[in-house]
Amino acid sequence: MTITLTINGAERSFECAPHESLRTVLRREGYYSVRFGSDTGETGAAAVLLDGRLISADVMLAAQADGHAIETVEGLSQPGGMHPIQQAFIDTGAMQSGYSAPAMILATKALIAANPNPSEGEIRDALSGILDRETGYLRPVHAAMRAAAIMRGDEPDSLGIVHLDPLLGRQGPHDNRDDQSAIAPRVVPSVDVPPTRIVGHSERKTDATRLAKGNPSFTDDTDLSRTLIAKVLYSPHAHARIVSIDDSKALALPGVHGVIHNGNVARVRYASGGQSYPNPLPYDQVSFDTKVRYVGDRVAAVAAETEEIALTAIDLIDVEYEVLPAVFDENEAIRDDAPVIHDEPDMDGAHDASRNIVHHLQAATGDFETAIDGADRVFTQTLRVHQVQQTPIEPHVAIARWDHDDRLVITSSTQVPFHVRRMVAPLLGLPVKRIRIIKPNIGGGFGAKQEMLIEDIVGHLTMRTGRPVRLELTREEEFVSSRTRHPQTITYTTGIDAEARLVAQRMEIIGNTGPYGTHGLTVQMVSGLRGLSSYNCPVKVFDCKVVYTNIPVPGAYRGYGAPQALFALEAHMEDIAADIGMDSIAFRRLNWTGVGDPLDIAPHLGEGDQDLSVIPIIMSSGLEEAVLQGMRAADWDRRNDPEWRQPTDRPHIRRGLGFAMAMHGTAIPGLDMGGASLKINDDGSFNLLVGATDLGTGSDTVLAQIAAEVVGTGTEDIIVYSSDTDMTPFDTGAYASSTTYISGTAVKRAADLVRGQIIDRAAILLDADPDTIDLHDSAAWSGDGRSVTLEDIALSTLHLKDQHQIMATASYVSPESPPPYAAQFAEVEVDVETGQVTVLQLVMAVDCGVPINPVTASGQVEGGMVQALGYGHCEEMAYDENGRMVNAAFGPYKIYRADEMPRLEAILVQTMEASGPFGAKAVAEIPKDGVAPALRNAIADATGVRINAIPFTPERVWHALNAT
Amino acid sequence: MITKYYRPSTLEEALALVARENTVVLGGGTVVTAVRGGSDTEAVDLQSLGLVDMGVDTGVLRIGSMCRLSDLVASPIVPDILRDLARREAPNTLRNAATIGGTIGTADPESQLLTGLLAFDSSVDISRVGSSTVHTLDAILGDSSLLNGGVITAVSFAATGVATAERTGRTPMDTPIVSVVARRNADGVLAVAIAGVADRPVIVDPDRIGDLDPPSDFRGSSAYRSALASILTQRALVAIPGGGSS
Repeated sequence: MTITLTINGAERSFECAPHESLRTVLRREGYYSVRFGSDTGETGAAAVLLDGRLISADVMLAAQADGHAIETVEGLSQPGGMHPIQQAFIDTGAMQSGYSAPAMILATKALIAANPNPSEGEIRDALSGILDRETGYLRPVHAAMRAAAIMRGDEPDSLGIVHLDPLLGRQGPHDNRDDQSAIAPRVVPSVDVPPTRIVGHSERKTDATRLAKGNPSFTDDTDLSRTLIAKVLYSPHAHARIVSIDDSKALALPGVHGVIHNGNVARVRYASGGQSYPNPLPYDQVSFDTKVRYVGDRVAAVAAETEEIALTAIDLIDVEYEVLPAVFDENEAIRDDAPVIHDEPDMDGAHDASRNIVHHLQAATGDFETAIDGADRVFTQTLRVHQVQQTPIEPHVAIARWDHDDRLVITSSTQVPFHVRRMVAPLLGLPVKRIRIIKPNIGGGFGAKQEMLIEDIVGHLTMRTGRPVRLELTREEEFVSSRTRHPQTITYTTGIDAEARLVAQRMEIIGNTGPYGTHGLTVQMVSGLRGLSSYNCPVKVFDCKVVYTNIPVPGAYRGYGAPQALFALEAHMEDIAADIGMDSIAFRRLNWTGVGDPLDIAPHLGEGDQDLSVIPIIMSSGLEEAVLQGMRAADWDRRNDPEWRQPTDRPHIRRGLGFAMAMHGTAIPGLDMGGASLKINDDGSFNLLVGATDLGTGSDTVLAQIAAEVVGTGTEDIIVYSSDTDMTPFDTGAYASSTTYISGTAVKRAADLVRGQIIDRAAILLDADPDTIDLHDSAAWSGDGRSVTLEDIALSTLHLKDQHQIMATASYVSPESPPPYAAQFAEVEVDVETGQVTVLQLVMAVDCGVPINPVTASGQVEGGMVQALGYGHCEEMAYDENGRMVNAAFGPYKIYRADEMPRLEAILVQTMEASGPFGAKAVAEIPKDGVAPALRNAIADATGVRINAIPFTPERVWHALNAT
Repeated sequence: MITKYYRPSTLEEALALVARENTVVLGGGTVVTAVRGGSDTEAVDLQSLGLVDMGVDTGVLRIGSMCRLSDLVASPIVPDILRDLARREAPNTLRNAATIGGTIGTADPESQLLTGLLAFDSSVDISRVGSSTVHTLDAILGDSSLLNGGVITAVSFAATGVATAERTGRTPMDTPIVSVVARRNADGVLAVAIAGVADRPVIVDPDRIGDLDPPSDFRGSSAYRSALASILTQRALVAIPGGGSS
């Protein structure tokens, strides 16, 4: 049928099928800002304006829009600049990946058109249909406020950094008021930090313009003619042998070009986790196996002319299964009578596959039995953490094609392009040199994309068909068939002496890695590392079994074992304090690690080559200050106010405040490596080529700031190109909170070399002593105030005299992993009759060293806290008795939306970490660590009830309340 | 899969189309078009029929079936509690497309808005070729075949009396595990409607909450839902002006 739409003011007619959604048709016609988040409309990534109303183009037929006016963000940009709303989203740091930014910008436009002076509540309602997994909504809401103010002609709130006075060592009452602009980053400065021009300032994101304009910049925006659509046949059984596969009917279907399965794809064993060479054992996967091990496991894949044909073909593949008993719980999986999940003869590298034990990890710093026997009191506590999904709004998507040299080019939304290239090569039977991986903008990853997940499928299908092949997971597939967080059963046994000092601590974990190892070893190692590093204790013991089950596959998820461990640890420490009648913060303070303390368990639980005789020492900690700042911001003293705790007008409500401390790592020492290359252009601008993978965090911007600081220019003159295996130096990828610290140091080293080359030429041009020359404001300055611009230096070296390219490449691997610290506070209301928990406020004060960009660092904290809130409060993967996920959609799987958020506050407590670039430590993952235990401790504060499992959904809390 | 799309310009045309086999009516389409695959159907889009009037006549509020949920939220003549329930029914993006007729036709078993409309003793106008009927919403939710071959044209109820709502969910805007709407009409007659305790929102006798046998799911066991029904009903009856007695 033919439809006519007025799109951004111009009338256009299109052919479409009756069933096609408005999103499908708009994207096909080149409106790439209309993005895929799901087919059912609830992500809002495809929101457009229809006759001025914000609607979800996923759940509107193109035919329904016939005759109507459509606005997309492509129509918003004005000649010579951005629309004020786009500019406000850029200026406030409201975009991380920016995947859904076009939808939010349109929502704001519709709102302001109807109401030039909207309240915060009205803005939150306007954004309620656009799910954001990245920002915690704080900055988008304030972007809308700012845009409205500017469009009214009012003065918007200041975006400048709010410097908070340090509280440590200060006498007298604290001033609780902080009534400054809610969107300005809060920084507690340190006198140890030298002044900088670009670093430490809230520079605009380098990709902000393309994101705000909705330009095609994500994997699925790749426009290739003759691209085939891939679909995967997934297992309906949690555990079954594939007796036979008959693909003849599927292959006979017109429009089908290839079907791949265990009968026609080579059996090459691998581990899918995106990790450094050699990938940790076990190698327990093949592209298509003769057995399926969870509902959602791969059985076959099809490439066809259209999605409809591919889906029809999937239904035409006849598979005969021999269904086997399945096991889902990690404690049941290691019983003698449990089904054996990996019984294949070529199974490689598991500790004891016959008992479903993938790994048995043990580490100790002393004799536990003796130490615990000598303890004054001993506490044992078992806790359970559950399975959740990363849910990036952009699902996994990859496109493969042959290039003109018969090299396979895979464009993929991946956090680990270099690992993917190396890992996919043997599966495809191609040498690494014949594969190129390109990583465009990523719409969030959070670890789910630290995996070689679908690239082998599109690779195989392109090699089989000769055609470009695209595979994009649906939302349900993203839940069930990508990666998730490891569930664990954790038992702590802790002995303290008469002064309440820890004397022995043992952490035992049964970790559930589902049917495949992937990140199972390293996630559980990090659980041990993080679970036994926060507090000083002379004897620490870690004992962990990582076990196979038949649940969808756990893998990497932001935090990587730490959120599990720190929920358990911070609940355990809270309860010990309560049991010995000690203030919970004072008890922790007596025991927590600080500057000069050893990270004694780290050498036992590290990756790469470990020297057990070298024990890292903590060189920076802002924890004491962070706790004081958090107590101030959370108004901690309210705990002692009975009227606040139990409001008289709502008799079933109890209020509470909870605290948790968090300590994380910064990159994997001795293993994570990043490379960077910097070269000057004719006009004095620079190309910065990095292997580091910005997955929406703003790491490209942070790296540009580091380069700009060193070579004395602005970030607008640093053109960042990140992660294309043909074009950029190697980088391990975006994980382990490594990019700022590792890749940032590589950039700094390359920039230092370039700086030297610039100064050498400037010394000649200025006839000055090189030692007196400084670089700033895009020029080289001699000690006596004369200058030559970077442009003149570039022109001189490229064209005029002793020609050479000013450029340098450097890389970095760190022997250290300096810990960021944080104080997390949560305020809750508990309905003691129904068990409903309402979270009112989250405050996190974090020591991330020197934040290179306070806005993006604050955004990491705000968004990370909200993901962590989902983990502790409302997200869970639920299954029927056969292992089929029953809530594989947003809504049933509940993530927070804009109109139900608690108040958020991020406070950045500066410390000068000498080993980091300009003093930086990591910030990306630590916000995931403290919210669940702070929530748990707040519920305990409110009600006296201690709950040892997450999430705190109403029925769980109700049962706990009724059990007392 | 939708194989054909019609946009009739008169109700008569629409009724003739809907009377045929394998047709599906589109209000806003947010539920119907979210279903992919499935058997072949032909879509009949009501957007050109009008059916968007909203007005009060002798105390009865009549809302055209193609009024969007966002229209309800914005309307000063809709009782505040129903405006709030319409807002809670779906986020902004979906509310701007979804209609009240579609909400009734698709009958989400956990719908807060339907629970509110039940408590307001709503009736629903259905047109068919050659006839039109009026059924209570309660009857339609109990027997969806009452809609077969027909088009919902309006819903009406007395926009008088007083009402209150209570709910328990995982988060403030979550679809509640159990939600309760209590209303006392202008004559003082009390009605209590509950969602989350059956396969549809139901009218209950507040003295017989214990007779409910709710289904279980991962968000709430049968026992928990029963407990919530009792607690939330009690709260609603305390909160409603005039108290719990009828």
